[in-house]
Amino acid sequence: MKNCDQFRELIEAYALGALDPEDRAALEAHLATGCADCAKAVEEARWLVSQLAYTAPESAPSDMLKGRLMQTVRAEAQAQTKPHVMPAKSAIPFWLWAGVAALLVFSVYSAWNTRQLQTEIREANNRAATLDGERQKIEKQLALEKRKAMILMDPNSVKITPAGHDAQGLQLEAKWNSKLGIVVMGDKIPMPSEHHVLQLWFIPKDPKAKPMPSMMTWPDANGKFVMLVSNPPESMDNTKALAITEEPEGGSAWPTTTPRWVAGVS
Amino acid sequence: MFLAAFTSAGHREVSLDATLLSRLLQKDVNAFEQLYDRHARLVYGLVLRILQQASTSEEVVQDVFLQLWRNADQYDSSRGPFVPWLCTMARNRALDHLRLKSERQRRREDLPDELPSAVIAPEYEKALDEKRRAERVRALMASLSPQQKKAIELAYFEGLSHSEIAAALKEPLGTVKSWIRNGLLRLKEGLQAT
Repeated sequence: MKNCDQFRELIEAYALGALDPEDRAALEAHLATGCADCAKAVEEARWLVSQLAYTAPESAPSDMLKGRLMQTVRAEAQAQTKPHVMPAKSAIPFWLWAGVAALLVFSVYSAWNTRQLQTEIREANNRAATLDGERQKIEKQLALEKRKAMILMDPNSVKITPAGHDAQGLQLEAKWNSKLGIVVMGDKIPMPSEHHVLQLWFIPKDPKAKPMPSMMTWPDANGKFVMLVSNPPESMDNTKALAITEEPEGGSAWPTTTPRWVAGVS
Repeated sequence: MFLAAFTSAGHREVSLDATLLSRLLQKDVNAFEQLYDRHARLVYGLVLRILQQASTSEEVVQDVFLQLWRNADQYDSSRGPFVPWLCTMARNRALDHLRLKSERQRRREDLPDELPSAVIAPEYEKALDEKRRAERVRALMASLSPQQKKAIELAYFEGLSHSEIAAALKEPLGTVKSWIRNGLLRLKEGLQAT
């Protein structure tokens, strides 16, 4: 309590704001210790000092001051209540519109870009499929050519030629390999009639058996063709001859014309 | 009976201020206008007394009432009466303005936005109407010695410290401290006796 006495003398001047820095620091340090009596005295002194406002002569400010104030206050009140009362379109800030517009543009661009990419991917897949198809075709052709070459080169292959001189002057020749197949080659072969093909037949030894239809082909512009029969009859022994007739497109189950070429097998 | 009538009028004024302030929290423009009409003369008179210049004083008063409008929630009506709190805020603003101006550093954005804490009325406070209260305070100030009154006014209206007042009046520091303390204590006793 004795400590408080020295500070009590400072309290009114403290509330007035008249204490010099040293005294003020000392009192505030004391108040910081939690002295309730001094804190209450400071509160009372603050109220006492606030009463000094009445010693200033009252004076009316200009009407313009009130006008400015009320204008500001009304504008702020309106700005605060407007969004709650009526969220008008115009209340949406420009930057929000700009953001929405940018998002729309981006979305449209993304959709267009995605579609473009999908188209490109589809076209690339088609190109790849075409190339793959061509590759398979070439590989298949290559395999056939290899097989033809093997048949032609294999010493076990049996050469089949027409007996005697062909009346029509056709240059045809065949090689039969019981394991690899039969290759039939032609040169200077006239084109068949329109809508007709050349069809190969296996003529059996048994006179009661029907000729067995085989592959169909067209000669090229030079009258050349090469035919590969991959699955010939297992044995040459049951085949009497090979024959080629001209047949309608799509081939026939039974020879419908006189053979243009016949070569005995066995 | 006569005093009771004054006291009752004071209570009504306090109650009206409290009502207007509660409406102010709801951003009631009409409540703000009523508060301004009720207290603008007192606040402007105080600020003008400190700054001695009408245009600057109006600027400060505008700041004070806009602070009230924008930060009314910082005033706790349960902790103290409104007018002392408003006057404390106005005085602080005006003195800040005066000090900054004197230091040639005045910039509006530098002004503090903090509002003063509640000014708690003492137990001896009597609820008087504004007119009666002003008359009583002025009468009590007039009863002080010229030196006491001058020292208090230099501190309150010009924001001078003990040593600044001593220098201004060319009086010993201890004497100035006594003038201020004794003058305020006499004012307090007078208000207690009212």
